[in-house]
Amino acid sequence: MGATTDPTQRMQERGLLHAQERGLLHALEEIVGPQGLRTGAYGRAMYRRDASFLNAEPLAVAAPRTVEEAARVLRACRDHGVPFTPRAAGTGLAGGATPVGEDRRPLVISMARMDRIVEVDAAGRRAYVEPGAVNLRLGQAAARHGLRFAPDPASQIAATLGGNIATNAGGIHVLTYGVMSQHVLSVDVLDTDGVRHTLDGTLAEQGGLDVRGLTVGNEGTFGLVVGAWLRLLPVPPHTATLLAGFPSLTAAAEAVSAIVTGSRLPDAIELMDARAIHLVEDYAQAGYPSDAAAVLLVEHEGLTHGVEAGVAEAERLVRAHGASTVTRAADAAQRARIWKGRKAVAGAIAKVAPDYYLQDVVVPRSRLAEMLAEVVAIGEREDLTILNVLHAGDGNLHPFVAFDRREEGVLERVHRAGAAMVTTALSLGGSLTGEHGVGVEKRDFLCEVFGEDGLEVQRRVRRAMDPTGLANPHKVLPTPAGCAESAPSMVPTGAWV
Amino acid sequence: MAGAVLRAETAEEVAEAIGQARRQARGLEARGGATLLPRLGGAARPEPSEDADVLTLDGLSGVVDHPAADLTVTVRAGTPVAELASALAEAGQECPIEPLAGADGAPLGSTVGGRVSAALAGPRQLGAGRVRDWVLRVRYVTGEGRVAHAGGATVKDVTGYDLCRLLTGSWGTLAVLTEVTLKLRPRPPARAWYRTTRPPSAWWATLHDPAAIVTDAVGTSVLLEGHPDDVAEQADAAGLEESTPPTPPTGARAVVAPSRTDELVAAISELDCAWAAEPALGLVHLAGDATALEQARAQAERLDGRLLRLDGDAQAPVFGHDPGPDPYAGPLREALDPDAVLAPWRWSR
Ligand SMILES: Cc1cc2nc3c(=O)[nH]c(=O)nc-3n(C[C@H](O)[C@H](O)[C@H](O)COP(=O)(O)OP(=O)(O)OC[C@H]3O[C@@H](n4cnc5c(N)ncnc54)[C@H](O)[C@@H]3O)c2cc1C
Ligand SMILES: Cc1cc2nc3c(=O)[nH]c(=O)nc-3n(C[C@H](O)[C@H](O)[C@H](O)COP(=O)(O)OP(=O)(O)OC[C@H]3O[C@@H](n4cnc5c(N)ncnc54)[C@H](O)[C@@H]3O)c2cc1C
Repeated sequence: MGATTDPTQRMQERGLLHAQERGLLHALEEIVGPQGLRTGAYGRAMYRRDASFLNAEPLAVAAPRTVEEAARVLRACRDHGVPFTPRAAGTGLAGGATPVGEDRRPLVISMARMDRIVEVDAAGRRAYVEPGAVNLRLGQAAARHGLRFAPDPASQIAATLGGNIATNAGGIHVLTYGVMSQHVLSVDVLDTDGVRHTLDGTLAEQGGLDVRGLTVGNEGTFGLVVGAWLRLLPVPPHTATLLAGFPSLTAAAEAVSAIVTGSRLPDAIELMDARAIHLVEDYAQAGYPSDAAAVLLVEHEGLTHGVEAGVAEAERLVRAHGASTVTRAADAAQRARIWKGRKAVAGAIAKVAPDYYLQDVVVPRSRLAEMLAEVVAIGEREDLTILNVLHAGDGNLHPFVAFDRREEGVLERVHRAGAAMVTTALSLGGSLTGEHGVGVEKRDFLCEVFGEDGLEVQRRVRRAMDPTGLANPHKVLPTPAGCAESAPSMVPTGAWV
Repeated sequence: MAGAVLRAETAEEVAEAIGQARRQARGLEARGGATLLPRLGGAARPEPSEDADVLTLDGLSGVVDHPAADLTVTVRAGTPVAELASALAEAGQECPIEPLAGADGAPLGSTVGGRVSAALAGPRQLGAGRVRDWVLRVRYVTGEGRVAHAGGATVKDVTGYDLCRLLTGSWGTLAVLTEVTLKLRPRPPARAWYRTTRPPSAWWATLHDPAAIVTDAVGTSVLLEGHPDDVAEQADAAGLEESTPPTPPTGARAVVAPSRTDELVAAISELDCAWAAEPALGLVHLAGDATALEQARAQAERLDGRLLRLDGDAQAPVFGHDPGPDPYAGPLREALDPDAVLAPWRWSR
């Protein structure tokens, strides 16, 4: 159905769509029950947005309880020609779970009622989970067997494993353990016909094309993730955590490069600037030095001698780069407080301003200091308050821009700042997004990143995985019009801020 | 029409070769070091033939960029793995996609592109993870001649769909790799192979994160890496003796889910085969005559596993399966290589 300019015809099409929508809602009520369906203005309003500031109106919200129900929901969408947006905890930061529909409002499919950790196979070091299970709960379940789940996004108390799979999430300890994809052994997906596929990685090789790997990070555009076998790891016997305070942001960033090129790669290196430190210290009581311009958190895990050699080297390097205070966590409780502070930044930001925009760009690690200096400059230029927290060991920056949307013209400045950060990162040889995904927010940048041919390959892959185009439309890939515009838009048609 | 060996030194030349093959409706076999292709029997065309040209990538070679401070390296796809490894060693770094030695100890001439395309598990996969986990960015030319890339030169990049994973292990179908960016790590300060004849159950649990474990009919070889004192203490605690690296047979590779390795080994040790297993990975390396290897295949398949013949027997099944049951394989191939130019014969045997 191509776009048409004839108003009468357009209204007819609208009428038809409405009939299809009504038909779908009837079918859905039968499938998920009245408890599982929200059609009212209030119920739908809660699903307008994720943790980004983009929002849009869903047709309705359906929450299946089982794979079978989910499959029937997808078939109903297909039969009625209605697009859908999968949604888990809604902590995504790129608008991936925002139900954008330029002409047809999508159905939001909530995974909230499929949230079981089905099995922990301790001997096989793996667990089977439903997509709505919260990341942290898997960690807790694994701990009872002396195991752990490595990917630990700072949002892990709320974000779900299905959401982590759909975004190929990162986290604090991915520096040596790797991003989500490395921890997904196999994934069960429903395609847009509601057919279930187990995309398998249980064989170490010869398993055919790695469609599992392709599917991780698809941001809901291939269908629904309905379950997965995830890899668990033994808890390392020894851990050491270092907290170093620096007189300048640059010194801290340069220390990161030095540590990364040292003789042992730490398992986590995080950086926080002075604003972030002050924000969370009261709450976390982690002992962050209050007069530091930046702190580094460095953690080594593993066997005793390696860990001790690693922290000794890290300590030497941070001092050589001007660290004024260096503390080592005395025990597990102090270590927990140090990490609690790091993970609390987003929650505490409300103390600074009611809204925040969180950017996610990556640069080669040797360019960190340059990139950070530029972020500071962008903040000054746009007169915005920026807090910096970084997965520094990965070169992954997360500048938080704190603002109050009621302030006249502020959104434009925030958008300009976000776009400037992206452009700077790309010019330093970096990446558009390290872990939060493309969603709607960054899709128009893909024109520049991939070029014509690269983009065409991406489009074809999407069509191969979802020939109907109903799975989370308007996400990840730019529209041809988006590529024609001179400056990428961070708020595409169909979404509001 | 007799085939030709085409040579490409740039991505554009790869695209040209692909374009020519498309126009002439001929198949094209991407060839790296040719250490594996000739062993694939009827599932490969390592030399030009009636219906196929060979695209050799030995001219597409060399390290493009090794910013040591970023722990990444970018190489052209035809770069020999051994050449890469020695460049990295100079900087005290490594990528655990290691150069492989033949039975005589001399390095095989395998290339980075070949290694990534086949994605067979190396012995250190146990500790270091899979080949695919070390691939950050690929530049490639699709079977349709589109020159493109996926991923980035940073350690994390979720821009667009993850074609790095899709193309790793695609065996020269879908696209030809022209350049690969790999993640690196510092070389472990100590590394040594050990050996024991005691059963793994007696010592396995005392080891934290061993780098490789290979068992055979007589005993078990263990690779330990890390701080020298940790390596020594672990070896002591587990009662391991220092030894030489194992040399598993190379006639075929069987793979099952790790939990079923013991069952597979039990079945295979009844056959007239030499074998060595990597139990934590579910891998069994084999050598034997065609009958024995096919009996081994039957056992692997009985356990939902697979077997890859690497003895170059032109009459024999090679992969022994068609990944066709994967309903996405067809559409993906259609998406990247619609005219079936790139090794359309690959899964035929
Ligand atoms: C304070 C804060 C800190 C954060 N820190 C990190 C961090 O350290 N690392 C990191 O990687 N991210 C981080 N994030 C981002 C976010 O938490 C992750 O992207 C997370 O993976 C999203 O999970 P979710 O369950 O909230 O998914 P949602 O936001 O609900 O959805 C995310 C995307 O996945 C799709 N999706 C969800 N479930 C499914 C499914 N079952 N099937 C198919 N598609 C699905 C959605 O359509 C959407 O495109 C942070 C976010 C916040 C607010
Ligand atoms: C004795 C022996 C032991 C081995 N042991 C191991 C082991 O322990 N672990 C392990 O991982 N491997 C092992 N291998 C296999 C080894 O991985 C291969 O040698 C290597 O993968 C192939 O490299 P090559 O450059 O020689 O590729 P080739 O043999 O030339 O080609 C191999 C495959 O890759 C494709 N290909 C090559 N280059 C490209 C490219 N640029 N783009 C797209 N496709 C391409 C080819 O089409 C073919 O399908 C062993 C091989 C031998 C002979």
